[in-house]
Amino acid sequence: MSIVFENITKSFGPKRVLNNVSFTVTQGEILFILGKSGMGKSVTLKHIVGILKPDSGKVFVDHQDVTSLTANALAQIRRKCGMVFQHPALLDSLSILENVAFGLKTPQYVLSHSRPLSPKEIQDVVVQKLALVNLGPEVLYQNPPELSYGMQKRVSLARTLAPDPSYLLFDEPTTGLDPITTNAVNDLIFDLSRKLKVTSIVVSHDMACALKIADKILVLDQAQVLAHASVADIKCSKETLIQEFLAETLSWLPPEARITEPVEDKIQK
Amino acid sequence: MITRFMEKTLLKLLHELGGVFVFYFQVMQTFFTTRGNLQPILGQVASVTIRSLSTVIFAGVFVGAILVLQFNLILQKYDAQSLLGGLNTSTVVREVGPMIISFLLAGKIGAFTAAELGTMKVTEQIEAIECLGTNPLQYLVVPRLIGIILSSFFLLIIGLIVSIAGSMFVASFLCGINFLEFANSIPRFTSLWTLSGGMLKSLVYGSIVATVSCHKGFNATGGARGVGRAVTLAAVYTNFYILIANFMTSRFLDFSHEMIELLLGVNL
Repeated sequence: MSIVFENITKSFGPKRVLNNVSFTVTQGEILFILGKSGMGKSVTLKHIVGILKPDSGKVFVDHQDVTSLTANALAQIRRKCGMVFQHPALLDSLSILENVAFGLKTPQYVLSHSRPLSPKEIQDVVVQKLALVNLGPEVLYQNPPELSYGMQKRVSLARTLAPDPSYLLFDEPTTGLDPITTNAVNDLIFDLSRKLKVTSIVVSHDMACALKIADKILVLDQAQVLAHASVADIKCSKETLIQEFLAETLSWLPPEARITEPVEDKIQK
Repeated sequence: MITRFMEKTLLKLLHELGGVFVFYFQVMQTFFTTRGNLQPILGQVASVTIRSLSTVIFAGVFVGAILVLQFNLILQKYDAQSLLGGLNTSTVVREVGPMIISFLLAGKIGAFTAAELGTMKVTEQIEAIECLGTNPLQYLVVPRLIGIILSSFFLLIIGLIVSIAGSMFVASFLCGINFLEFANSIPRFTSLWTLSGGMLKSLVYGSIVATVSCHKGFNATGGARGVGRAVTLAAVYTNFYILIANFMTSRFLDFSHEMIELLLGVNL
């Protein structure tokens, strides 16, 4: 159970977004992908579920090459992968209940459960998943435009969790969320990884979150992997970009604390 | 330089047209190879027809009325007002009806569809559907495309009925041609063949409106600006393709008409 990127190169017109990118994510691992805007973080995620095809290289999910799968086989891979997009990406014409239940009605999900879920069972799953993101059953019959942006993001997260994916791909999951919900989402990612061995790849700008919950951090810069290492190694990195990320994370600390205390202690505080 | 510009424009147009054809065949392939399309299609037919009904009725009545007034001016000079009903109905059924309805559909439903799908594309809703294991062509495009095509057919029938009724009223109250005289001259210029030709044109134009608007919306990129661009291009290309298709279908129908009469020896 792993995700393997093998020499992936991807260009959009003349712009090369990924250049020979390779890395591996093992089962239960939480990988944070950091980098400045436009460095190919979201593009990396979209390769895993086959939304984008690389110009060269291969992407393996559970030892299957996603780049050469048929539509049906790709649908099976997508069944295992849940993706939370940058936008909430909820369907405006459907209620929250129908949005979260969307993945529970697909043929792939029905096949994996040997029978379709009854409407009652579907509602129970939806309520349970909404509770995980701090939303109550009162939102079930509302439509997405009736909810705030932060609530829509949480519904989007619940929709991704509903079919119990083995891999979770997050594209800036906490952007637009309040600090309390941000913490709840980070705790959720951590719990899913530790208790259910769900593998998570999180695209984010938030170094503090990465240092708090990631097992490994991958930093993309100039279309290439600048660093792919454990949190401890990243903290000791001498790379300028990583130093900038760390400095930005610590910028809220008083100057004297920044000078005297080791980085790790500051983060824990 | 002018030759180079024309060459570039022609190539762009062919590339665009090729993209629309490929998209149409992909949607049709999805339609014929997947199940469970009927209910959403019927929903779209009802939605499109109801939303366009008032516009079609309004346009139908006035187009019929305007044509009657214009034809009457000419026919009066030749003392041939008895042909007014036939000439008016034939023009509406052959050309004006399918064209006007498709232009109205392009402006109202086509623009709406391009904007709706475009917004879904730029806000990653289409990618989310794909990631949840559902084919977005089947879920979003098939019902809209087939729905618009079928609706254009139903709207043509409604449009023709109200247009002819409007023409009759105007002919009777403003031109002095009574209902019976108007109706009697209809078969002189309008046959089942004429009606079939109008229906065929309506299906072709409906397909153009549906395919171009879905194609432009489905492939929109670049945020709100991209959606605006998709809607504009959908409207421009739809009207452009309808005019070309009108010429081609008219030639095809004329040719088929002549060939059938020649081969079967019957008067259509």
